[in-house]
Order: sequence, then C-alpha cells, then structure tokens
Amino acid sequence: MELLGVIVGISIKALIFIIGMFLGAAYLTWIERKFAGHIQQRPGPLHVGYHGLLQPIADALKVLTKEDLVPDGVDKFLFYLASLMAFVPAIMILAVVPFGEGFNLFGFEIKPYITDLNIALILALAFGSISIYGVIFAGWASNSKYPMIGGLRKAAVLIGYEVALGFAMVGPVMQAGSFSLKEIVEAQSSYWFIIPNILGFVVILFAILAETGRTPFDVQEAEAELVSGYNTEYTAMKFGLFPLAEWYVATFVLSAITVILFFGGWQPFPLLGWLPIPSIVWFFIKVFALFMFFLWVHWTLPRYRVDQITELAWKIMLPLALANIFIVALWVIVIG
Amino acid sequence: MAVKVKYLERPHLTNKERIFFIDFINGMKITIKNFFRKTITTAYPYEKLTPPKRFRGTHGHRVKDGKEPPSFKVLEKFLEINEGESRCVACYMCQQACPVPELFKIEAEQLPNGKKRLKRFDMNLLNCMYCGLCTEACPVDCIIMTDEYETASYTRANCVIHLDDMVERAKDYDRRRYNEPDRIWIDDTERSKLWGQIKWSNN
Repeated sequence: MELLGVIVGISIKALIFIIGMFLGAAYLTWIERKFAGHIQQRPGPLHVGYHGLLQPIADALKVLTKEDLVPDGVDKFLFYLASLMAFVPAIMILAVVPFGEGFNLFGFEIKPYITDLNIALILALAFGSISIYGVIFAGWASNSKYPMIGGLRKAAVLIGYEVALGFAMVGPVMQAGSFSLKEIVEAQSSYWFIIPNILGFVVILFAILAETGRTPFDVQEAEAELVSGYNTEYTAMKFGLFPLAEWYVATFVLSAITVILFFGGWQPFPLLGWLPIPSIVWFFIKVFALFMFFLWVHWTLPRYRVDQITELAWKIMLPLALANIFIVALWVIVIG
Repeated sequence: MAVKVKYLERPHLTNKERIFFIDFINGMKITIKNFFRKTITTAYPYEKLTPPKRFRGTHGHRVKDGKEPPSFKVLEKFLEINEGESRCVACYMCQQACPVPELFKIEAEQLPNGKKRLKRFDMNLLNCMYCGLCTEACPVDCIIMTDEYETASYTRANCVIHLDDMVERAKDYDRRRYNEPDRIWIDDTERSKLWGQIKWSNN
C-alpha cells in the first residue's frame, strides 16, 4: 500500500513537472521573441492576445496541425528517433533537479523535486550528452547535404566542449563532497561556490552556449550557411521539438544546474535572507536571470567558425577548467 | 590574369581585452541599450505611414480645373473636354515613354465637329514597374502617381485601372496634398540632428 502511494505520488509529480516544462518552454519562446525583438528595436509578437501573450499557444496549434512530411530518401527509423532523442533526455534531466526545499502544505510534506539521486550531476551530464545525439542523428538520417554538415559540425564541437563542461563541474562537487544536487545546495548555506569557482563558471557559460546551440556557437544550424542545419528536412512537430529541446528546455535545465552548482540553488541572496520569499521563488529568480543572460548573449554576438570553437574549447576552456580544479583543491585544503 | 591575394593581419588584442572579453561586453552594452529604447516599427494594418509627396504609387488622372500648365491652353481648342473631366489630350506620350508600352490601352475618337475626344484610358498595372516615366512624359501634367501603395487584389481583373477611377484617385490626392511643399525628405530637422548639417558651397 505504501509502495502504491509512492508510485502515485511520483507519477503525479512527474506529470506536473512535464506539463509545467511544456508550458514553461512555450512561454520561454514568447520571452525570447519579445527580448530579441526589443533588442532589435521592434516589438516582437503583438497581435495574438495582450502583447502577444497567446502567441505560443497559437504557434503550438499551428505546428501540431501541420502536415508531417517525411522525405523519400531518409533513414526512417533514425529520422523519427532523432527528434524524440533530442527532446526526451533534455526533459529527463528535470528528474534530478531540485527546485527548492521541502515544505508543508495541508499537512503533507511536499518536496519540489522528483528524486534525489547521489549521482544526480553525472546523470544530468549523461542525459545532456544523449540529447546531442538527436542532433547528430537528425543530420545523418536526413540524407541531405546541409543537415549532414550541421550534424558533423555539432559532433566536432561536441568533443571539445563536453570535456570542458565535465571538468568545470568538478569544482563545486569537490567542495560539497557529493554528486547529489540537493547536497551541493545545502553545502552552500554559508557562501556560494562562485567564490573560488569563478573560472569554472566562465567555462560552464561557454559550454552551455555550445551545448544548447546558442549564437556564438550555433554552428550546427547556422542559418546563413546551412539553410537551417540539422533540422532542414523536418516538418511539423518533429521540427518543433528541436528548438524546443535545445533552445528552451536544455537552456533552462542547464541554467538550473549552473545555479545549483555556483549560485547556491534555492539559498536566498546574501543579506536578503530575512525576506519572506519561499526557497522555490529564489531559485526561479536566479534561473530566470541566468536564462535571460543566455538570451542576451545569443542576440548580441556573431557566430564563431567550427575550428575557432574547437580551438577555444581545447586551448583555453579546458586549461581554465583544470586551473579551476587546482584552485578549488587549494581552497579546500586551506579553508576547508 | 593572376588573382591577387591580399593577406590581412588580424586586429591585435591586448591582454586586457583578451582576458576580460572587452569586445563582448561592448557589444552587449549596445544591445541592452537598444533593449530599453523605443521601438521604431509601425503596426502596419492599424497604423499607416503617409509616403512623401514624390512617392510613386498607383496612377491618377488630373482633371480640367484651371490649374493646367500653359501647354494645355494650346492643345485645348482641338479637344472636346468639359470642366471636371480628365485633361488627357491622348497624345500617347506616356505610352511612348513606358518601358512596357503594351500595358497602356489608350483610344481616342474624332467627333463630328472635328474635335478629338478621349474614349478609353486603361493601364494594366500587373506589368507596371512604377518607374514614373509616364508622368514625366505627360505634356499637360495629366497622368500622375499618387501616394496609394496598397495595390494587392484577389483577381487579375482588379489590377487594371480605368479612366474613371484614375480621375477619382487624382482628385482625392490633390484634395489632400496639392498644396504640400514638394520635399524628398519630410523630416529634415530630425535628420540634421541625427547625422549633422549639410553644407552648400558658397559661390
């Protein structure tokens, strides 16, 4: 009986997370379009609903009712698999992301996270990497030159930034002594891990921009060179899942992980702890700020070449990540 | 002929610029400044801009109303034109000047009293490139281009304009804008504020 309760509880929680993430991602598109518009001195979506607030719903309806074309020469299995493979692992990272402390509501203890694994960070990294296979498969399965080039570029870039990303996450783990995201947050109650880990933070910014295909590193879809890159041959919702997964779900989830690792998760801002704000709101304020930072970078900078990205990843970001580990090791020995 | 290859040096970055991403920060400063500026767009179907007077829109026919150039007085006695009718003298100059002459269908007849009268003046705007040469060729300042630019239509037939609607269009245009000073730029003061004053040579 107890097992049944746990299963029902977890299923409801997972459903809430998934539906919430879908709606959240839909409205993140609205935020991005508004932000991009105003950066270019135009208002963005304005017509559907008040200031375009219903635009994401209209877009979703449109993309869901479009004809789902599958070109003749594609590898059908991989073609179908790729779009799911990009989206599902990205949303699965949510399973290990803690959004706040547990709190009591009507006598029940509610924990705003699905599970608290002791290898949560590694799981998140693994799912993040699997999600990239979606892009590479899409490029390969499309049987067309531009998607192919896009997929290969992503593969080339992937090798560089994944290493840096992994090493950059080591610093906070060393300080907290645990891979569990919840314990990492709890270890930051006195000070945030950004303090000795500033180099790691720079590296992780670079790696997230590269992983989510945002502008300075969006070589895989480079619309000026590759039509639309890896998703050129996709239509309807199969197409819609790619930007949803990469630009919104992955960016959001990786922002959440960055906040957990470096900015104290749901811990309040220093000197503002007395404010009556629940922990989950603190967490979302931080994640949203970081997300907006990524948007800001995306809509400002021009694109790097593939060789420049790999050069940056191997020659600058990887040594920086290693230096970060060294500094944190000294910090742990000296301060504790 | 050998191809000349020119090698360019990369712009040299100082260490300070390299370490603190000064270029990135400058770029992001610009975008965030733009973010807080007012938008410069027009909500088109609800808000319409009036083009400058020299805009080349759909054609119109000016009528005989006493504002004709002197050349019209010379030609007038050969023609049967009443007050308020198109002042076209059916000289075919517009068709001669047109790069696509077949888009005009102009017909005139001789009345029993020996005078000439315009019967038909159709233009197929599907072929028109809005170059404005017809308006320059017109000796009596009859065919003009108005400021109407919404020429889309559901049928091909609607894209041909005729004498009567051209007369109406020109009447409407002249009522609104005949007395407006003819300037290319309508907001000179703002331009000079943004990009500085122009300077004529002093003789």
